Amino acid sequence: MFQRILIANRGEIALRVIRTAREQGIETVAVYSEADACALHTRLADQAIALGGLLPAESYLDMDKILDAAKRTGAEAVHPGYGFLAENAEFARRVVEAGMAWIGPPPEAITQMGDKIVSRQIMKAANVPMVPGMTEPAADADAARAAADEMGYPVMLKAAAGGGGKGIRIVHEPTELAGAFKTASGEALAGFGDGRMYVERYLVNTRHIEIQVMFDAHGNGVHFGERECSMQRRHQKLVEECPSPAVSEAMRQEMGAAALRAGAAVDYEGAGTVEFLASGDEFFFLEMNTRLQVEHPVTEMVTGVDLVWEQLRVAAGQELGYGQDAIAMTGHSIEVRLNAEDPSNNFLPSIGTIGNIRIPGGPWVRFDSGIYSDMEVGLNYDPMLGKLIVWAPDREQAIARMRRSLEELNIGGVRTSAVAGLAVMNDAGFQSGEFHTQYLENMELTEPASDLDKVVAAATAMRRWKQANRAALAPRDADRLGWIARGRVGKATHPHIAGSTSGFTREGNRS
Amino acid sequence: MKYFVNVNGRPLEVEIVDRAGKLVVSIDGEIADFSYEEVDNDGQVALVMDERGYAISVAGKRNDYHVTLAGHAYAVEIEDERERAAHAAERERSKGGGVVKSVMPGVVVELCVAKGDVVAAGQPLLILEAMKMQNEIGAPSEGRVKSIFCSAGEAVSAGGKLIELEALEE
Repeated sequence: MFQRILIANRGEIALRVIRTAREQGIETVAVYSEADACALHTRLADQAIALGGLLPAESYLDMDKILDAAKRTGAEAVHPGYGFLAENAEFARRVVEAGMAWIGPPPEAITQMGDKIVSRQIMKAANVPMVPGMTEPAADADAARAAADEMGYPVMLKAAAGGGGKGIRIVHEPTELAGAFKTASGEALAGFGDGRMYVERYLVNTRHIEIQVMFDAHGNGVHFGERECSMQRRHQKLVEECPSPAVSEAMRQEMGAAALRAGAAVDYEGAGTVEFLASGDEFFFLEMNTRLQVEHPVTEMVTGVDLVWEQLRVAAGQELGYGQDAIAMTGHSIEVRLNAEDPSNNFLPSIGTIGNIRIPGGPWVRFDSGIYSDMEVGLNYDPMLGKLIVWAPDREQAIARMRRSLEELNIGGVRTSAVAGLAVMNDAGFQSGEFHTQYLENMELTEPASDLDKVVAAATAMRRWKQANRAALAPRDADRLGWIARGRVGKATHPHIAGSTSGFTREGNRS
Repeated sequence: MKYFVNVNGRPLEVEIVDRAGKLVVSIDGEIADFSYEEVDNDGQVALVMDERGYAISVAGKRNDYHVTLAGHAYAVEIEDERERAAHAAERERSKGGGVVKSVMPGVVVELCVAKGDVVAAGQPLLILEAMKMQNEIGAPSEGRVKSIFCSAGEAVSAGGKLIELEALEE
């Protein structure tokens, strides 16, 4: 096993890796940008190397700086987390070439799965079910229009190099296509340097269900069941759970087998997630994420497996040491993502200074987050502040536990998606388990009429009244300066040490 | 002091009177049994009302507050008597048209309208990129583009003026 690893990431995922590493007696090296000098990953790692810079490109995306830090500290392996360089094949290759282990899949697997068009071809050959769509990117908006007209609407425009919900548009009407093509392609070009788009049939009332897989370097692979990720908005997941209320044991086995075929087709190693679109008991390959996912904790809660530890073990060359029979799913787990955004204002980004944090506790409640008091939430980094995760013996109790935990939680300074998470927990459709990927988009998220209005009104009025009174009582500048001046004069007339040429001592000046 | 409070759009009146150092709080004319303590300077409030305890977070100042109570978010607008009269007069003056401001910091990717254009409600005025997402900013109402305060490629801050619309003549 490694003695020292470098974590090329920030925020909650950097902490997540540090925690497992510490438990296993592995030293951790954090890297941090100028903006993250106070961040928790900087404080909690064994070593912290400054990358400088405020922008991601100058820090967490700068391969040279990170590789230098790794070499300088003698790290034997690099964990990329998710986002930033996690799915960058070039970085993976450079880590390996520098003689370190890459805690992730082989660079070739990243390249193959990272290109949506190439991956579709490989998956087709591996007999993984596919959604009808173009196998080549559209040359321009007109070509996309022609392909869409043939497939039938609605269609999905998708960036060839996309990910994380960027560069994706759903088009319902032929007339909307040209505009959507332009914005999505622009987004893809700005985000990934590649504006190529392709078109595919967009299935309605589909669910987004994904399978967690883990392969070692010796040809062994297992899956850890599914995660239900249909509660999403603009392709950004909000609530995830394990298991899915829509997956039977038979379907789980079928999906698990398909996911293992998908991984095996690219000689996968490490942790990965195969995303499927499910409709009824049919499912279609969406993409494979060649990294640890944000929502991995729900799988950990239900299977009892520390996925980061398994990542470290297989990256160090160890065999998995167990087969599919050893994986058992117990109870139910739910995760709510806490993003800095305002659900009451169309989920627009919210920035500010974090304060007034109250973190829920109690049995089977897990809070994975990198937030701290006075943390600045800006626009340079991902808006996800953290995740709240609960476990319970069954789904109904897990919902009740998540609701209770969200009611306890407070994150001040920015608006967060926590209120939307609570609305989902209270929603009859979510509780019934019958929902799809469009469900959250259409959900009414305005706050219901509440009998606590009077309490809220009274507290706010009191706060304002106190603020106004404090302001009125605060001494005006002129008064304060006069007071300080008088204080100095008083000091100066004090008998002073013989030989001193000044009436002011150093101490006197400071008072 | 009397406050006119709007909680998620529902109006309430709160009156706070200092009677020889003891605060008497009444809500919609009814005196409440009340204990209000500020836990810290960030707006964490411990409130006991009619012997029920509440953990409340109150953020904001002057007229706009954001309150969190038991996981629910409340947008609260508050005015005292004098402000209420002043604000009503101001609203009357600025009827029709108005300035479209950026609700988030971002970069203007593209302007979709030019000065003098007549736009319909909801028609895209410009595309703003924030947090790596491109967002269409639509017209809040119909009107004519009176002035444009930004250009493509320009960074704008939250609350920054983007475009001013004027009311259409009949």
